[in-house]
Amino acid sequence: MATPRSRRLKPSPARDAALTSRRIDKGVARYYRLYELLSTALQDGTIAPRSALPSEPDLCARHGISRTTVRRALDRLEREGRIVRRRGSGTYARAQRAVPRFCFELHALPETLAALESRTTMTTLHSNPAPVPAALRAMAADLGATAYLLQRLRRSQGEPLSLTTAYLPEPIGQRLRQQKRSGMSVLAMLRRLGQPTAAVRYSVGAIPADADAARALEVPLGSPLLRVRSVLTDEAGGLRAVLESLCRSDRLQFKMLEPTPT
Amino acid sequence: MTTTTKSGAGVSRYLRLYRVLSQALTEGRIGVGAPLPSEPRLMREYGVSRSTVRRALARLEAEGRIERKRGSGTFARIRKAETATPRDLSHVLDAGASPSTTASSRTIAFQHIATPPFLLSERPAFGATVLLVRQIRYVERKPVVLQTAYVPEDVGGGLTRQRIGDEAGAILTVLASLGHPSSSLEREFAALEADPLAASSLGLTVGAPVFNVRTLARDPEERILAYLNSLYRPDRYEAHARIEIGGAGRHRQETQG
Repeated sequence: MATPRSRRLKPSPARDAALTSRRIDKGVARYYRLYELLSTALQDGTIAPRSALPSEPDLCARHGISRTTVRRALDRLEREGRIVRRRGSGTYARAQRAVPRFCFELHALPETLAALESRTTMTTLHSNPAPVPAALRAMAADLGATAYLLQRLRRSQGEPLSLTTAYLPEPIGQRLRQQKRSGMSVLAMLRRLGQPTAAVRYSVGAIPADADAARALEVPLGSPLLRVRSVLTDEAGGLRAVLESLCRSDRLQFKMLEPTPT
Repeated sequence: MTTTTKSGAGVSRYLRLYRVLSQALTEGRIGVGAPLPSEPRLMREYGVSRSTVRRALARLEAEGRIERKRGSGTFARIRKAETATPRDLSHVLDAGASPSTTASSRTIAFQHIATPPFLLSERPAFGATVLLVRQIRYVERKPVVLQTAYVPEDVGGGLTRQRIGDEAGAILTVLASLGHPSSSLEREFAALEADPLAASSLGLTVGAPVFNVRTLARDPEERILAYLNSLYRPDRYEAHARIEIGGAGRHRQETQG
């Protein structure tokens, strides 16, 4: 397909400056640099919704890169739903659909969980006894080698937010399974069963999405996910549960204030 | 070139598969000596071709992390100096950390710039210009974080490359020694793809996951001291916190790293 220079491309000094401000370096990730440049321009409105992007030949010439490289950057933006390519006419910025975003405030745990529970739903994917991964056993030695696994997917308006796998001592796990309240956190379910949590220990980091997580959270394999591991304990320091949540960072923000506001 | 389609948002599929397997090996989900899934199984599970699977395995083999035994399968190997879990490096990296001989830093930018719009729109208190300090921070000479600090002009007056280097890049520690102690921190956590600068600074490939911590530090009078944007290597750093939940939703917390 021959892409003609877009006739709808109106001159825009700001956009042209933004797009030519740096000539794209040669190197491994030339496509990525162009992707990043266009991505920023789309995000901050330098390229307004529904307006045309520069044509492919134009981008090649401006940045001194090949057509293949330009297409790779545009392919990615298209896959992300941020541009639309119309045959014979050109490439246009898409108006972004409002994606639900949530802020999880670690310092205000009960309140933030309550807010999340009221606005999201949970689907149970797995609930069965299962071996505990070594990394989680290292965080909570008294969990033992097998525990009751409860894996659930949290969604908002149909869009996946997080995949949470809880490992619980078996008797409690069996009782939790019978709780059908959708959207309720493990912490809240335990409280209902008369098993309140006194403290939560968190480890927060990033990992690439494996096959299961990518499928459940509807992201490409290897995409960055926020991993929040938590150990719930009772008054005496006894173990209540160990949780591992894999979260879409674009939809679920995590915040923490120190010291906690009074 | 092969155009990436469904499974690869721009980064080649082999790299994605490589990262996922690499993570499983690092965390011990595939223990030393244990077999990896077979090639046909990896193809099925990840929806990729044989050559993609082989490319990912070839890279792991070249790194000495797996061993391919003809006719028998592929097995996880011990790698020297393997870190099984991200270490909590707060004791060497964060504000209040005692100066450590194992931590060091390299300042790659130290300049006054017009305050970026993302800062100014949310925090007008920053003023028209800020001091930007960008550095790579190391522990045991391995890069751990690419950190960009934005410091208001009236706070950053006494900051010099030398002082920051002396404290191994702990900007908040330097500010405290200049009479600007932080009394509160507001932090946000995210998982991002490494951009080319983060990738080259941290020894990662472009698009690999990085752990992002954005910190806003204030002094006892609630004045902004600095905004830090930190991109950590996720295999070398995790944030930790402990929250206590009292009756009626009251709670205390201690945080680190």
